[in-house]
Amino acid sequence: MSAASAASAASAASDDGAGRVALAVSGLSVSYGNVVAVHDATFRVAEGDACAITGPNGNGKSSILMGVTGMVRRRGAVEIFGTQAPNGDVRWAARHGLTLVPERRQLYPDLSAADNIILGCYCWTRSIGKARRSGPFGRALDLFPELKPHLKQAAGTLSGGQQQMVAIARGLAADPKILAVDEPCLGLAEAVAKRVYDALARIHEAGTTLIVVEEAPKRALTLCNRRVEVRNGVAGAA
Amino acid sequence: MKFGNLVIAGIVTGSIYAVFAVCVSVWYRVSNILNLAVGDFAMVGALGVDNLYRVKGLPLPAAIITTLAVVAVFAYAYDQVVLRIAQDGPRRMEGIVVTFFFTFALSFFIDGVAKMLFGTDVHAAPALWNGASLTWGSLHFERAGLLVLLCALIVGGAFWVYIRYTLGGKALEASGENPIGARIAGIDTRRYRRLIFIGTAVIAAVFGIVESPITGYTYLSGATISLTGFLAAAYGGFRKPGRALLAGLFIGVLEALLGGYVSAEYGDTVLYAILAALVLAWPRGLGFESAVSS
Repeated sequence: MSAASAASAASAASDDGAGRVALAVSGLSVSYGNVVAVHDATFRVAEGDACAITGPNGNGKSSILMGVTGMVRRRGAVEIFGTQAPNGDVRWAARHGLTLVPERRQLYPDLSAADNIILGCYCWTRSIGKARRSGPFGRALDLFPELKPHLKQAAGTLSGGQQQMVAIARGLAADPKILAVDEPCLGLAEAVAKRVYDALARIHEAGTTLIVVEEAPKRALTLCNRRVEVRNGVAGAA
Repeated sequence: MKFGNLVIAGIVTGSIYAVFAVCVSVWYRVSNILNLAVGDFAMVGALGVDNLYRVKGLPLPAAIITTLAVVAVFAYAYDQVVLRIAQDGPRRMEGIVVTFFFTFALSFFIDGVAKMLFGTDVHAAPALWNGASLTWGSLHFERAGLLVLLCALIVGGAFWVYIRYTLGGKALEASGENPIGARIAGIDTRRYRRLIFIGTAVIAAVFGIVESPITGYTYLSGATISLTGFLAAAYGGFRKPGRALLAGLFIGVLEALLGGYVSAEYGDTVLYAILAALVLAWPRGLGFESAVSS
């Protein structure tokens, strides 16, 4: 499949969704030096959707999220709820409702779990009191009651599953309208992975638009109603 | 009451080491770069104020404000030019050894300029709190020493409150622990690196101004202060400002006691021998291994 046809197919696959467009990506390309990781990806995600981005490892799934959220420089256009997102500005994306829960969690290992989570609020406030009293922070803690006994523990000493929960909770504390979760079950035992997916389902039910990057389409499709397949850096409808 | 007075003198010296150690640690936490030039900013503070006040005839408040402003602008420019290219460019330089040279070179540069501007003699900023030393029983408190201690308490306390109780302080810690994770949370890690670099440079200059009436400074004094602050910071694994602060105080008191009881001439030699022995005996406990591995 050529890049152009793949892109248009992805667009068509997503255009039939109802509701307003939460995320519109057109002609997205991401390169690392001379290596092209994503080539000309075009897709849309409607508000309230749960969209899976699937494909084999190393094919550019994570790079799509990195480009969309502004973690890496990109070519092409990204619109979040109809507003053009500036290139390379993660903070802007977070303030406009798009938050990333990255692959390998990217926590702050020496800070406590609670501090990790509360830093999710940083994109909308500088006041720690306001952050602690806020709805998003409270909801993030409520979603994972099993974290409560560990909130004062250094994040680096938590188990893999607990760390993933902290990462998702940090994402929620940013009060996202779109939560982009990259490989949430990487390296987790099946029972823990199920718990993580249950939490993602609850986040989706509460009205948050979800984008989930997964290597395994089967698991992703238990949650997602749409799918974008990525092969060799080319995004296509599946 | 020789012991008591030595301890007081040690605490004053130690509080300076402690503040410099905290400055080194806090900036290392946010940037992963060791600032070897921190003592040179203190020297610029002391000699700059002396020069503007005594030689150029500026009123003291104007001399202090001008010197601090020059230090802040220079630190800002250094961050914007050198650190930005080294850290924010497409080929980011990492590793404690490579980044060491940025501030090492800066230290030499500042020393060279200071030698041209201020000469090689010993000078000091004028004392901000004049008068005979205060006494309490047989204990003597130098006014300048008390001022240094007060500044150390204010600076140490402010850092502690900022890091422990504010979201900005936690964002600062997050910037050093995981720059990628910090960016994801919308934290501008470059802004924190710049803010703390400028902030610690100005703090160092302030300490140079209040401390120089006690010891006197030459253009080379900065390196010694940096070294001792750096050592104290190393005892906290470069990442623990609280531990670095205690280590700074400990080194100051030990130095004073050795100078008073063992030998004024060889006190420093014995001091560094003890510090080296401590590191050899207890590297993990003192945080050296974590500093190297991080």
